[in-house]
Amino acid sequence: QVYTINLESRYLLIQGVPALGVMKELVEQFALYGAIDEYHALDEYPAEQFTEVYLIKFQKLPCARVAKKKMDERSFFGSLLHVCYAPEFETVQETREKLQDRRKYIAKATNQRDCFVAKKVEGPKTPISKNSAYDCQRTTSESCAAGNWDPFPCFPNSHTALQNRGYPSGIHNQSQFMFLQNDSNCAETSGYFGQSMSLTQNVQPGGHTPPISSVQQRAVPTDNGIDRFLPRTTHLQERKRRREEGNKFALMGIYTDSTEVVIGPQLPEVPKVDMDDDSLNTSATLIRNKLKQVAYSVSRTSVEKPKASSAKPLLKQRRRI
Amino acid sequence: GGLCNLCLDKTNKDYILEANGVEPIINCLSSSNEETVMSAVTTLMYLTTPQSRQQTTALPVVECMLRFSLSASRRLSNLATVFLEDYCTPLQVEEARNLSKHTAVGIPLPKD
Repeated sequence: QVYTINLESRYLLIQGVPALGVMKELVEQFALYGAIDEYHALDEYPAEQFTEVYLIKFQKLPCARVAKKKMDERSFFGSLLHVCYAPEFETVQETREKLQDRRKYIAKATNQRDCFVAKKVEGPKTPISKNSAYDCQRTTSESCAAGNWDPFPCFPNSHTALQNRGYPSGIHNQSQFMFLQNDSNCAETSGYFGQSMSLTQNVQPGGHTPPISSVQQRAVPTDNGIDRFLPRTTHLQERKRRREEGNKFALMGIYTDSTEVVIGPQLPEVPKVDMDDDSLNTSATLIRNKLKQVAYSVSRTSVEKPKASSAKPLLKQRRRI
Repeated sequence: GGLCNLCLDKTNKDYILEANGVEPIINCLSSSNEETVMSAVTTLMYLTTPQSRQQTTALPVVECMLRFSLSASRRLSNLATVFLEDYCTPLQVEEARNLSKHTAVGIPLPKD
């Protein structure tokens, strides 16, 4: 089945919730992905024995999207959750806005892509182009607030993000998720950038386990200078991330394309031990290479692993997406 | 569905309109697959431009949307309502409504 904007929704249906009176915990879990407007049990909805069905309405569709991806088929208090979109709960106005948001998003993303293409043609790092890239970046963050879509190539975003070191703090979870949904073919380092940022950003809202009523989305970036201000914690995390990235590069060995941007110090490579025996050395080299390979592929894969297209045979027939 | 995803990109939109894509999409409104129908409704919305409006909101289309807006499927009725409210003039809707009334008298409409 093809995913269209019609299928997605701010509303999520959650089946398979064990009937143990865990509504509060359930909502807290989901709230990690964004602000929730409403939630309640759906008593009339068909449910398997000893399970309940819940409806959760997110404030923003991109948050619902990520929550769905993360929480679907997740074990929760011993039971497997089944999370799907529930667009049938939308009001006419909500449907309208959903469609409009998508339209706006594509328009801005297309503009931004054209910006980037124009910039590339111009040549790098002229002041004008840098500004325009920065503006494109900001408009993208705004459009991220409005809506989001997977397949759109993220490469221009990542690229300009790298060049603009002062990454706007106004970029909140949603635009991070945009990076998350990046095709892993995006430039590796820019992929890192997005992923690490999102990881650090994600930790913050969840880390405090606030009462449900006060779980708030980060403020939507406003169209003024404020979103260029990076809070101190983000700076610290940035530095930490760069340090870690430097370590990663060291572990992976040398991937010195000229295009690779090396961020942070490169630690000395893991010393190669000579085992004084040919076969042992061969084994050691094989293992070392394998480790490198694994480390490389782990870091290469986007945090958001693309779902396996074929359902595992063990999964029971799903009712809906 | 694929078209629905693609058609918002200006380049694709122009191409589809240029290639007389509206007609086949209108035909999809009669599909027995509900998802196809909904994708078609959305695609028609997205393809509506001042130039294409005459085609995408032709009388038979508006009439169809009127019927959809009464559908038991909330998703479909929502989409159709948005189409009628945002992409059609009140006059167009009125015209289609009169037409439906006329043909429906005593004659059951074909099943949706």
